[in-house]
Amino acid sequence: MSEQKNLSVIKEETINAVTAKIQSYQKSNAMRLPGNYSPENALKSAWLMLQNIQDRNNHPVLQSCTKESIINALLDMVVQGLNPSKKQGYFIAYSNQLAFQRSYFGTQAVAKMVDDTIQEILAEVVYESDDFKYRINRGKKEITQHEQSLENINGKKIKAAYCMIIDNDGQVKTTEIMTFEEIKQAWAQSKMNPIDDKGNVKSGNTHDKFTAEMCKKTVINRACKSIINSSSDSHLFLQSVNRSSEIKVEEDVRDEIAINANGESLDIESEVINETDPAPETTPTQKPQQATLINEEGPGF
Amino acid sequence: MDIEAFASSSAGNCYHITDGKTRLLLDAGISYKEIQRRLNFKVSAMAGVLVTHEHMDHAKAVKDLMKNGIDCYMSAGTADVLGITGHRLKVVRAKRQFQLGTWTILPFDVQHDTLEPLGFLLASGSEKLLYATDTYYLKYQFSGLTHLLIECNHSYEIIRAKADSGTLPLEQKNRLMRSHFSLENLKKFLLSNDLSRVQEIWLIHLSDRNSDAAQFKREIQELTGKLVIIAG
Repeated sequence: MSEQKNLSVIKEETINAVTAKIQSYQKSNAMRLPGNYSPENALKSAWLMLQNIQDRNNHPVLQSCTKESIINALLDMVVQGLNPSKKQGYFIAYSNQLAFQRSYFGTQAVAKMVDDTIQEILAEVVYESDDFKYRINRGKKEITQHEQSLENINGKKIKAAYCMIIDNDGQVKTTEIMTFEEIKQAWAQSKMNPIDDKGNVKSGNTHDKFTAEMCKKTVINRACKSIINSSSDSHLFLQSVNRSSEIKVEEDVRDEIAINANGESLDIESEVINETDPAPETTPTQKPQQATLINEEGPGF
Repeated sequence: MDIEAFASSSAGNCYHITDGKTRLLLDAGISYKEIQRRLNFKVSAMAGVLVTHEHMDHAKAVKDLMKNGIDCYMSAGTADVLGITGHRLKVVRAKRQFQLGTWTILPFDVQHDTLEPLGFLLASGSEKLLYATDTYYLKYQFSGLTHLLIECNHSYEIIRAKADSGTLPLEQKNRLMRSHFSLENLKKFLLSNDLSRVQEIWLIHLSDRNSDAAQFKREIQELTGKLVIIAG
């Protein structure tokens, strides 16, 4: 019973704080939201969702995360004009910090919001044997040809993916092309890292099963981010965009260090070992060089 | 053991060490000419150079040193990126110890945004030196160290404040956190090691803009009670 009451108090305080902030942003014109976006509805959906989200220790985030971080996460959502019920983003707890993480649907929505001339965002995958040509015109890539036959479609034979952003007049605004190598590199940066040590997609995971779709997501993200980052929108907006990813980076680094650092004992073996060859494998044609004994001393310096 | 820092910053890193018998360079991130000058033109007195990774502030003079008959020790990955081959290249592997003159040397893996970076543990007689730079943390604990040459690049507090005020781009802040040792993480490392035999702690590779030499020295001194020297 007391927990219930507690929660409704938290809700009121948090939502009030967020609403007050939004109103002050709107008054000072620091924020403009798309006409069809209702902050109230987004906040309602977000709150419903938050009640069911738990952190990694299975504690409800509304209890384990700081009030400030909950407010900031909700603000980040509203300032970007996003709604979690449309899968435009989700909430994640990094220890006691709640963050709003934009999804790839959210990234597309934000790109459309900062640039209202965007009509469509399209992505395609280029397979081996496709007839694909592009040229670079004044530093901008232009795809001049892409012909594909059904036989070429094979998730194991992806060469590249591209995204074209089309404006209201049907003209291509932006074209982003990523080779499969570049895409894999981007994947390797992610926390779930689906790339193995040899640079191949680990078998069995989502990126392996739906490689083409994941490639499209990645290249769409890249294309939209270049639009978002080059937008002339207010500082406030970009701050929100950046904050969630920043909390995540810091937390990832902290986690990584906490798990891996200063653990294993390492020491020099005391017995005298073979002095001759530290690296036989790279100089197979060379006689092992003796890496020893240039006795000094020369005159002091 | 005698340690001398020829250079220690993101502009260049090069350290000279000797146990009285075998002289070594740790990294060679300054020009060959500068190394010649610092060694009184007796470069051939060096038994070898241990190279941590391929960034130019650590590997600038490697090719010239090899040309002039000095053995350069590094990982296969580092050699690969530097594009060097030849009989002066000595490829070493993490956790495979080797002997170089009177030094026994154990390379180990470190955490930096390069292909195969290494740190080095060096022993001679009763003395043991840890050389670790360009790593945002160390996986290992060491015992019986007498000397530390260890990176203390920035403090999280400083880069945090700079990122907040907009004077340090977020990308740079994030890269620093994932590539270089912070004061805070170094402290955690020092606390988890047995420092009872330590004589000297050299703090190296301080960032020009994101560090405070006096503060770092004071805090590490207070934490360890050891002689702390700021290199460079």
